[in-house]
Amino acid sequence: MMKPFFLSTAAAVAIVGSAASADEIRVLNWQGYGTDLDWSVASFAESSGHTVIHEYFNSEQEMLTKLRTNPGAYDVVLINAAFTPQAQSEGLIGPIDVSMVGNLADVPANMAENVDLNAGGSLHGVPWTWGLTSFAVNTNEFKELPTSIEVFWDGDYAGKVSIRDDALEAVQFAAIATGQDINDIKDLDAVKAKLTALMPQIKTYWGSENDWNQFMAAGDLEVATFWSGSASRSMAAGLPVQFIVPQEGAIGWLDGLSIPTSSTKKDAAHAFINWMIDPEFYVKWAADGAPASANSKAAAALPDDAFNKRVLGDAEVVARVQFQRPVSTENREAYLALWQELKAAQ
Amino acid sequence: MSGVLLTRLGKLWLLSILFFLYAPILVMAFMSFNASQYYQLPFEFSLKWYEKLALNTEILDAATRSIAIAIVTTVVATVLGTAASVALFRFEFRGKRFLQVMLFPPIAIPWLITGTAMLIFFFGIGLGRGTPSVIIGHVALAIPYVIVVVSARLATFDATLEEAARSLGANAWTVTRRVTFPWIVPGIIAGALFAFAVSFDQFVISYFLSEPGDSTLPVLIYTSIRKGFTPEINAISTIIISVSMVVMLIAARFSNFGGER
Amino acid sequence: MSMTLANQQRIKIFSLLSPAYLWLTVAIFLPLSAMFYFSFLSDVPFGQKEWFYSTENYQAFFQTTTYAKLLWKSINLGLMVTGCAVLVGFPCAYVLAKSIQGRSREALFLLVILPFWSNSLVRIFSWAIVLRGNGVLEIALNTILPFEVDVNLMFSTPAIVIGLVHSYLPYVILTSYLALQAIDDNLIDAARSMGANKLTILWRIILPLSLPGLLAGAVLIFVPVVGSFMEPRILGGRVGTYFGTVIEDQFVAVFNWPLGAALSFILLAVVLIILAVASPILRRAQT
Repeated sequence: MMKPFFLSTAAAVAIVGSAASADEIRVLNWQGYGTDLDWSVASFAESSGHTVIHEYFNSEQEMLTKLRTNPGAYDVVLINAAFTPQAQSEGLIGPIDVSMVGNLADVPANMAENVDLNAGGSLHGVPWTWGLTSFAVNTNEFKELPTSIEVFWDGDYAGKVSIRDDALEAVQFAAIATGQDINDIKDLDAVKAKLTALMPQIKTYWGSENDWNQFMAAGDLEVATFWSGSASRSMAAGLPVQFIVPQEGAIGWLDGLSIPTSSTKKDAAHAFINWMIDPEFYVKWAADGAPASANSKAAAALPDDAFNKRVLGDAEVVARVQFQRPVSTENREAYLALWQELKAAQ
Repeated sequence: MSGVLLTRLGKLWLLSILFFLYAPILVMAFMSFNASQYYQLPFEFSLKWYEKLALNTEILDAATRSIAIAIVTTVVATVLGTAASVALFRFEFRGKRFLQVMLFPPIAIPWLITGTAMLIFFFGIGLGRGTPSVIIGHVALAIPYVIVVVSARLATFDATLEEAARSLGANAWTVTRRVTFPWIVPGIIAGALFAFAVSFDQFVISYFLSEPGDSTLPVLIYTSIRKGFTPEINAISTIIISVSMVVMLIAARFSNFGGER
Repeated sequence: MSMTLANQQRIKIFSLLSPAYLWLTVAIFLPLSAMFYFSFLSDVPFGQKEWFYSTENYQAFFQTTTYAKLLWKSINLGLMVTGCAVLVGFPCAYVLAKSIQGRSREALFLLVILPFWSNSLVRIFSWAIVLRGNGVLEIALNTILPFEVDVNLMFSTPAIVIGLVHSYLPYVILTSYLALQAIDDNLIDAARSMGANKLTILWRIILPLSLPGLLAGAVLIFVPVVGSFMEPRILGGRVGTYFGTVIEDQFVAVFNWPLGAALSFILLAVVLIILAVASPILRRAQT
């Protein structure tokens, strides 16, 4: 008699418990960047009971502004590793409770121990995805794929070239073309000269993935800088493009998922982050085009012909990548002044 | 040149300008029926973007929310703006010029800056964000437009008309109701339509001040261009424009606000 | 008696004006004042950042030629767009006010505003589809014309002007219409019967009487166009960098609100100076 009573009480407690922890968490991210996939949110809600609401940002600066001005509004935020130290030093994000993110065990040490994600001495951003900023070409126009970044300065493609309208990206791109370390640009004059020579080649700058796809589809562009994840999406959508990692190298970036200090639903936030680095989630996401996963099990689970396995899984390619580090405010403003001066001269 | 010919040419001009105004709208509608996501030509007819739209509750909710906010904004901004323009037109007082000049900062300063300023200020005073904040911001942005447009109409008002009415024994209220008001109605209508447009297209303020998950249509559009701006947006825009056109033409059929004398 | 009348009038003025201006104060003037304050700081006063009062942000405008060059370019764009919109829109408003009668006038009046109710970004993207090489315009022209033409206006200043004129045209059409429609036809008939020709009537009667509307429309176009950055960027491509672009960059690319705010207030000051210089000239033209 005692036993059933005890059991039913336990069951009741369990039900009450799970009802109480069925939270609504708010995620701050770029739109259409993995966390807001309908099927994934639905499946997370089913397994955990937590619902997910999204808010989007359009630039890293805006993301930081939103965190600063809306304490308590967000539970999970996507932060590029180059910005994690800043967010941490401003006290915007708190440490991750590693014990609550089981899938972290499958994240290789080089990512999990990334200096920037471990700002302040402990993990503040769970490595989620990484990718490259390099370029892609229109395969209808190229019989042989270029292997050098110099194709941007090739007169044959004058007026068919594009780079993103972003000072940091433009300067780092030219740093690679002039053989410099993107995180420690010694010769800014060489960068400026290289970009000055590039300007007449440019048809337009692109601002978003959507711009890029439209310009490419309309035949306005033949060579343009691009992000690896976006390139895999464009290829999946049937555009005739191919992503190139030139011999000079490429810019690498790492995105982490962080939890704001002011979040009141940290348990649910950890659970969501754990789901986000789950191989099951990633493989399904990658089928429609995604950046590379930080989880080695997830990466290994991809089919052999998958873009992220074929291109980014190649150790020789990865060796050419320079990963972005935080940029000081002074440098950021100097790069912007340089880029604005060049744009104003057009 | 004969008058008839001139009138014909004038009407032709008006028609071509209307065509110019509607060209991108037609393209937008056209592309909402085109199968290609990247607006590629040649055209291939498809209803798939409308089918997708019908299932996309996010866009539909945002559209409904935008329309509701725009209607509230229109009513409030038109009433407040019209009252202010009447005072600015009717009375001479110290500081009037200053008040008129103060209408320009909200128009001249890019909305991005005004929006950022509102965000930090509303947080500073504890108002925070949410639909009320969004509406406060929208109304404020719409008021200068209403005042400028209504004042443009009032500037042509002939004060002797009021005097004449008064000399015929009409009291102040009757004069306002029967003489002044009918005169400025076209200005008020135009001001209201602009107020609606300002709110309905306002992105920055809604973006900064709306609660997560409560976004408006422009916010949805602006944030979606980063990844992929699907023709579903064209489909909803086409539906909204078509419905408004029908509503407006019916309104035009049964009312008289063109200022016909 | 006169005292109470004056008081009554003051109460009237106050009750008519204060709701609108109180609203503007809370939602716009006070926030912008905060921004104005920021523009004199060395850094944004958030967190533990160090900051001090300084005019360096205003000095920055003069330290390179970039800003002045772009501001000049933006003012030119504003003049060009306003000029085109007035030339195109005023005759249109005239026809609407004087040649169209009855119900169709109301319908046309609404039809002119309706395009405004679509999203501006959607409109710009539609223009991109029209103007680009192998786009709608080229295809349409080649269908009509007996010879082949190559039309690619995309990523050029004309594309920016077309896009902006389209976006702002309804303002000038409607404000001009509101003024033109108020002109008594008898006045025009009287002038005609006294032997005035069409040009004289236009120059001496119609233009002066409709000037308030025309000017209101022109100001509503010029002022926002000078600060625009969205349309130029999408339609102008490489040549689409304007003063609004560098302001936006200070907010979006780097977290330098003080400089961005300083640049916006310089923009506002220049716009107000232009309007102040223009207003006496235009007022003289009116009389």
